Amino acid sequence: MTPLLYLLAAQAPDPEVIDRIPSGFSPFVLPFTIGVAFMFSWIGVGLIRLLAAIPKSDRIKFAKSLFIPKTALKNIKDLFCDCLFHVKIWQRKPLLGYMHSAIAFGWFMIIILGHIEVALFVPARLNVTRGGLFYPIFYRYFVWMNPGHTTLRGAFFFFLMDFFLLYILSGIALAIFKRFRSIVLGMRHTTKPSLADRVALYSLWMIFPLRLLAESFTADLSGGSFLTVPVNHFWHFLFGDKLWFMPTWWAYSICLGLFFAAMPFSRYMHILTEVLWILLRNAGIEPNHPRKGVAEAEIYACSSCGLCLDACPMNVQKKNLKYSSVYFIRFLRRHNEKKINDIADKCLMCDKCHALCPVGVNAPALRRAQRATVNNAIPFDYSYLSTASGSTLAGETHATLGTVRGGTGASLCEASGGAERSEAVARPRVLPETATGKVLYFAGCMTHLTPRIIKSVEKVFKAAGVDYVFADREGGICCGRPLMLAGRKEAAAKVIEANKKMIEESGCDTLVLSCPICLKVFKEEYQLQGIRIVHYTQFINDLIASGKLAVKNTGEKIVYHDPCELGRGCGIYLEPRAALGQVGTLVKASKEYDESICCGGSLGSLTLDMKDRGKISESSLDSLLANDPQTIVTACPLCLKTFSEAVSNSKGPRKDVKVKDFAEVICG
Amino acid sequence: MVDFGFGLVPSSRINLDLFDKDKYRELVKIEPDARICMACGSCTAVCTAGKFVHTSLREAIEDILNAKNDKALESLQACQLCGKCSMVCPRGINTRHLILSINKVYSAK
Amino acid sequence: MKNNILIIGGGPAGLESASQLQRMGYNVILIEKSPKLGGHLAKWDRLFPDSVPADEVLGGLLRGAEGVKCFTDTDVRAINRLDKSYNVRLTNGITVLSDAVLVASGFDLFDAVKKEEYGYGVYDQVMTNADLEAYFKTGTDRRIENPGKIGFAHCVGSRDEKAGCRSCSKVCCATAVKQAIEMKQAFPNAEVFCFYMDLRLFGRHYEDIYLKAQKEYGVRFIRGRVAEVSENYDGTLLVKAEDTVAGKPLKVTLDLLVLMAGMRPSGVGKAIGDLLEMPVEEDGYFAVRSGIAASQRSPIPGIFLAGAATGPKTLPETLADARAAAMEVDRYLTEIFPDAKNYKQLVKERW
Repeated sequence: MTPLLYLLAAQAPDPEVIDRIPSGFSPFVLPFTIGVAFMFSWIGVGLIRLLAAIPKSDRIKFAKSLFIPKTALKNIKDLFCDCLFHVKIWQRKPLLGYMHSAIAFGWFMIIILGHIEVALFVPARLNVTRGGLFYPIFYRYFVWMNPGHTTLRGAFFFFLMDFFLLYILSGIALAIFKRFRSIVLGMRHTTKPSLADRVALYSLWMIFPLRLLAESFTADLSGGSFLTVPVNHFWHFLFGDKLWFMPTWWAYSICLGLFFAAMPFSRYMHILTEVLWILLRNAGIEPNHPRKGVAEAEIYACSSCGLCLDACPMNVQKKNLKYSSVYFIRFLRRHNEKKINDIADKCLMCDKCHALCPVGVNAPALRRAQRATVNNAIPFDYSYLSTASGSTLAGETHATLGTVRGGTGASLCEASGGAERSEAVARPRVLPETATGKVLYFAGCMTHLTPRIIKSVEKVFKAAGVDYVFADREGGICCGRPLMLAGRKEAAAKVIEANKKMIEESGCDTLVLSCPICLKVFKEEYQLQGIRIVHYTQFINDLIASGKLAVKNTGEKIVYHDPCELGRGCGIYLEPRAALGQVGTLVKASKEYDESICCGGSLGSLTLDMKDRGKISESSLDSLLANDPQTIVTACPLCLKTFSEAVSNSKGPRKDVKVKDFAEVICG
Repeated sequence: MVDFGFGLVPSSRINLDLFDKDKYRELVKIEPDARICMACGSCTAVCTAGKFVHTSLREAIEDILNAKNDKALESLQACQLCGKCSMVCPRGINTRHLILSINKVYSAK
Repeated sequence: MKNNILIIGGGPAGLESASQLQRMGYNVILIEKSPKLGGHLAKWDRLFPDSVPADEVLGGLLRGAEGVKCFTDTDVRAINRLDKSYNVRLTNGITVLSDAVLVASGFDLFDAVKKEEYGYGVYDQVMTNADLEAYFKTGTDRRIENPGKIGFAHCVGSRDEKAGCRSCSKVCCATAVKQAIEMKQAFPNAEVFCFYMDLRLFGRHYEDIYLKAQKEYGVRFIRGRVAEVSENYDGTLLVKAEDTVAGKPLKVTLDLLVLMAGMRPSGVGKAIGDLLEMPVEEDGYFAVRSGIAASQRSPIPGIFLAGAATGPKTLPETLADARAAAMEVDRYLTEIFPDAKNYKQLVKERW
């Protein structure tokens, strides 16, 4: 093979790189070019459709967000960390993180470096009309390295290109390995690929080995480094001078073309959609439909990596795998209405898939939006809430915080029309203690079924001398979160409005809640101006830290269960642990903090039955009891009740484990 | 049966012949727990909405079986889906889904 | 030759079968885990339906069992089956070679603490049926101070899937009616409410006490399960239920709430059952060879069952069961056991 066979373009005297093919074109680039052009036009159309589907206000918000420095910085950071380095996967499963970042970042670098090379050595070729679309990709085919003029600069790029190619290849090797032995990379379950996924997947596997083959064949002409040059020598050793590099470049191009053509129909769509989704997400735009508008970016940003399969507490039973977020999103893409509804209703809304999602896809929010499409049609009637005033909604609040308005009860009777409803008017009662306190304690519906929480909270408050008022001693109304979980945002707004009125009228400055379900919605939706909303774990931890509450360490071995709505929902992990550390010895659960496993009692699920819930409770207990604690402590009435029942109904030594509420343990 | 001379006043008697089997079958298909209520009244006793207006899942279930579908829907329309009833139900009925399901099946005309 | 028979459990079932088997001439060894014979009966004051003193009944049972080798404070350490017999090592160091084992391990009362929403152990004025019997026996309980309004919550830990017990405990309705009457006798001015789901009093004279409670004592029976209990400032209780007959939710302020804790399979019995590899059914009670035709025989040859070990029973039922079990043991020891050559065949045919 002699260079004389090739036409050398007339270039600057003694150039470093010579444009080997003057036309800058070879037919083998066609498959790639067609594939990539198809993909870009598909995405272009999709993007326009998507932007057209979101409300105008959101569009403006989105456009503005791109220029707000803080958001822009976050965008850049997220794009690098999430799309390229896959930091979130690294943090959980280093090997898996390496695999993803090797392919993503490696590929990104190869494309960038390819373009830089072209820009440096044959800048004219960046022009789209002169092959800018494919030239940088197949740069090594089109150029000839001038052996008489090698520079450090050239060698540097050769080295980098080889380095990143090797980096990607190591990632691909892991990916292939993972298909067969996923557990080695820390995944118990992996997703089942669809047909388009398979086409794209196998092309992806082939792209980089073929690139190595193609580049190594041409390495003696167009240059190479520590990887391609030795391989080139090896080919020469094996085949002499007869290297068929055209077929390999063809194969390389075809694989690329196939990959890009299949991309819009496969999970790999996420590579580009993720960018858009991160921008939309950071702009603070929320989906209000499970499939249209922003949600479209979100569902196509899902990479089907399957991390949510292991995350989902339901998957302790294999039959529930099909209800995982990854399949929910796949069916959303396919418009499979029946399956979408089933999956949406089954979910516990524990938010773990969202917390663990490397792309930050908020599948629970999508499920809620899906539920809304069905449940919003139900004609519930909450008019009674607007006729009932604050004082009647929460028993005694009015009386204790000052103003008792005469005739409230009577007016309600009239308003709601019927003696039957006079039941609603809880007679304002005056507390024995003179309540001038600004602390309002709201127990919530669930807590009324776990009296030991109420008793303990009151005991702690008394011990610490907290001047408080118990807002719903005689029962209140729902906080609205369960309605939100069922997708009924507007209905929830009515309940919220009624509660809000009651709290604002109370004149409190601190609202203490013992139910994380309430806490979440109070924090996010109530917008109570000037009122500090805290969970009792935070409040009590403050009491201990400030010395107002004295506690004794009994040395009891305690494991703390993070309730979903408190941990993942409100980000409260440390305060309960800090307080519990003062009264006992904390031991670890096998999964805790944002990886904590739902107790199984969650209100989120609409269709899970008792048996399936029991299985989830068992697996959550398994995790909690990993280090043989004497007591399980939780800070949610629902978790408390669920675990108490699960422990007492289980057989064997597990029966001896105590299940206690946070406040119960604090007051000893 | 003929209501001799009293046809103008609708009979207050439950007429089981009017029971809508198909709809009930549909309900049981999407929420099988509809069948297992033993009418203990726990759900109604703890009901958050029931404090204000008549709300009763127990009664709704009975009304459906007694061919009083509209009354059943009425008994549930104030529901806040708070889930207290599911916590106390001795039969472990998935109450929230049952309420939603009754609404879905019986409010569709 | 006198066969050795080991009876596990010194409650009414164990005592009655011990007494019967002894009369038949067997060598009976009875072990009881607790320090005292009599089981739950020893803790009860009076019995339904006729308010017979429990001590009187227990006294009769103990007299009948005189001469039986009784070991209290004794548990089973190990059991191994020989060809036909059982080699049982007891915790008191004695080893018994027993030709038949009769398990009369009885029941545990449901731990009412587990029914969170009733607040037993949390609220001052909540007690259980057992606590009330203890009060009747001793005459003191800090919770009872001339109560004006008393409620009885039926089905606590019974007919409750959440509490892990689907079945009816059979005795609580009658006990509640009995205790309601007794409370009215003790506090004639008190208002008494019974919250029930279904009144299940079916034995002879049981309806009589129901009628008496209504007619003579004015006990109010409300068809609805107690669903929520909260405490007022003054320590009284606010109880919520639905009056399902009226179709309305109700609330009532009470000075005392008595929880009718139901029957659960005995925990100690379960441990012994595990040693013997005795199968249990879904409800946690021991399985029997046949629920109708052979309800005193375990599926394992040579092991017999009596009393509440095979499910909730009233006291007369338990005693009848114990006598039947004694007959079954006798039949096994005379017809099957002695024939060493055909033992296996006989077991196959007749067990």
